[in-house]
Amino acid sequence: MHIIGVYNIKGGVGKTATAVNLAYLAARQGYRTLIWDLDPQAAATFYFRIKPKVKKSKKLLRGKIDLDDVVKATDFENLDMLPADFSYRNMDLRLEDSKKPTKQLLKLLRPLSKAYDYLFLDCPPSISLVSENIFRAAEGLLLPMIPTTLSLRTYQQLLDFLQGHRITGLELMPFFSMVDRRKRMHLDIMQNFPDAHGELLKAQIPYASDVEKMGIHRMPVEAFSPNCFAASAYQALWMDVQERLG
Amino acid sequence: MAQHPVTYILPDELDLEGLKKIISESNRFFEESPVKVKQTYYDSFDWRLWQAGEELYQEQGENEKLCWKDRKGQLLPSCQSIDSAPGFAEDLPAGQLKERLSKLLEMRVLLPLVQVNQTRNTLRVLDIEEKTVVRVVVQKNHYSAVKGKNRGELESRILLQPLKGYENAFLKLKQQLRSLKLRQSEKSLYEDALQGVGRKPGDYSSKLNFRLDPDAPAHATARQILLSLLDTLEANIDGTRANLDSEFLHDLRVSTRRTRSAMSQIKGVFDPAQLEPFKQGFGWIGQITGETRDLDVYLLNYPDYRASLPTAIQDDLEPFHGFLQQHHKTAQAELVKKINSPHFRKTLKTWRSWLQAPAENATQAPNAMLPTAKLADRRISKLYKRVLKDGRNIGADTPAERLHELRKDCKKLRYMMEFFQSLYPKPAIRGLIRALKVILDNLGEFQDLEVQAHSLEDFGEQMLKEGAPASALMAMGILVGKLLERQQQARAEFVELFTEFSGESNQQAFKQLFGAA
Repeated sequence: MHIIGVYNIKGGVGKTATAVNLAYLAARQGYRTLIWDLDPQAAATFYFRIKPKVKKSKKLLRGKIDLDDVVKATDFENLDMLPADFSYRNMDLRLEDSKKPTKQLLKLLRPLSKAYDYLFLDCPPSISLVSENIFRAAEGLLLPMIPTTLSLRTYQQLLDFLQGHRITGLELMPFFSMVDRRKRMHLDIMQNFPDAHGELLKAQIPYASDVEKMGIHRMPVEAFSPNCFAASAYQALWMDVQERLG
Repeated sequence: MAQHPVTYILPDELDLEGLKKIISESNRFFEESPVKVKQTYYDSFDWRLWQAGEELYQEQGENEKLCWKDRKGQLLPSCQSIDSAPGFAEDLPAGQLKERLSKLLEMRVLLPLVQVNQTRNTLRVLDIEEKTVVRVVVQKNHYSAVKGKNRGELESRILLQPLKGYENAFLKLKQQLRSLKLRQSEKSLYEDALQGVGRKPGDYSSKLNFRLDPDAPAHATARQILLSLLDTLEANIDGTRANLDSEFLHDLRVSTRRTRSAMSQIKGVFDPAQLEPFKQGFGWIGQITGETRDLDVYLLNYPDYRASLPTAIQDDLEPFHGFLQQHHKTAQAELVKKINSPHFRKTLKTWRSWLQAPAENATQAPNAMLPTAKLADRRISKLYKRVLKDGRNIGADTPAERLHELRKDCKKLRYMMEFFQSLYPKPAIRGLIRALKVILDNLGEFQDLEVQAHSLEDFGEQMLKEGAPASALMAMGILVGKLLERQQQARAEFVELFTEFSGESNQQAFKQLFGAA
């Protein structure tokens, strides 16, 4: 099972849209795919029309119930979801109580590895014990970045954090998100960033109303507007990710 | 509680509109536009997937995918997208499907068996968030043969498909439909379609499975066995000719060998003079098929050969692969010529008419009228005794030829036990065949590795003449060394294995079954 975290310290960068659309593309390709909405805001859960409620969520985090029992099928073949739960806002505290607080998530996920080919983790923003768990559990980390100076700063913060905590072997996959080609600053940053960061993925996700419309249609872009620009951008991104993870 | 999908037969008095009406009484649903798909079902020639309880089909509709389903497990199929028709497992895209298929199919190719054209109307039962909680799929089905014009209608089906996490909605709908008194389908769509084109799952197997009458005269039983072997041989001719996979030729050769063994070992049931030309005929078939089979074996072993070398020189072996492929092509073309020859056809045709000729003209041979069970007991005990005697005389210094001789005798014994196994209690005879197989595997390894090592040396010389690079020959040299090492290991293991085989408990078992001393 490939575990892919979708993450940024900043919120509102197109993180959930990325997780939802890529998970959909993986499933459509035939891979048994699970998306776990770890963000208490429950946006991914909303996009799939699932109720943001997990029975006995506290027990779940302690590994006392089977993850498989709380999985919900989405409306799409091969694509299941572990919905968000409001109690996830306290996940940090619960993890802290456990024996190996930084590796708890990895332990929870192990039993799923036979049932799924891909697991997407839609992560809450900020750096916390939850994110550290994700960094240690995931094979790859997708980092949507709006091409602004502030984004670059938070990316550097993340690199420092990973180095400081000796987290190695995590495939970092930053890419530009919510790109507005009319903005001079976007274009400048996109031109200069790759020089210092070879890990940048080629695909870019545009700032597009189709992505925002996901909230109205409550489904992945590809499912309601397969020929739009944003849909092909996510396809390109998914191809980049598959190539990077081999 | 996880729920399994349920399939009902759509009764004549109910149609899609009627079903919609009933569902709408207590549910909101969304009707998807109808979808037309074509499913092509696949299995190997010897039904390996069917035997493992699996169904495999390629579905062509909006997109193309390969789906895999447990026949009895009632689960929904798992699918993977593919862009061409499936063939060998090794050529499938990486993933779970490939892993599962590789294990079952090994070297066998997938063949299309039957097609189903399906029109699907899907009703999605929705909850208050307009989230789908159950799928109801009405399927109209037509089967058609892969080649030819055989086609027809199959029963329409209603599939109730639960969604994980929404089991209650599924149970509720099932309850609501109860008043319709729907009948659950007993057979899968695949089984229905196969029946439509007149195929029976498992209608070919290379395994011997005769049901013999212990009191029948031995000559009649011998004919029965030989006819069945001829059927198997002939069933493999087309696949061998087209080289669909290497197993067709292998099965053809095995039935040839078994035929020759049956002719010589079911002794004294036919007139030897009448049998002689057929013995020669099957000897010839063994001969003309040998080279292609040998090359098949080297090609099948190639990945192992390669992997047994140090990583740094694995690529050096590639010219050898090319050499094998080139020579296989030539040998195969030669083989096809022989198979298409009048002599080949005539050999099999006269053999069949001889076997089917009325019994009267058959025989004054000494054992012809002996009850089958008696002949089987007698021949098997005799062969067993010979194997025991020869095997026990083999020590560390015995020349290799004696082991080769022993292997031949063990093979004869095995074939005889397999031909006549239905006459004996199943667990007992199966156990002894298994025990014998351990010895045969060991002797086979010993001899095959030697043959392979020598052939590799010959191939090397040929390749040298054809201008192969020195690095390839050196890699082959290392390979020969490895093969001979393994051969020595097999030799070293023989005495211990044979001591176990010839031990008291097997002797008792043989004695009990066949009256052997």
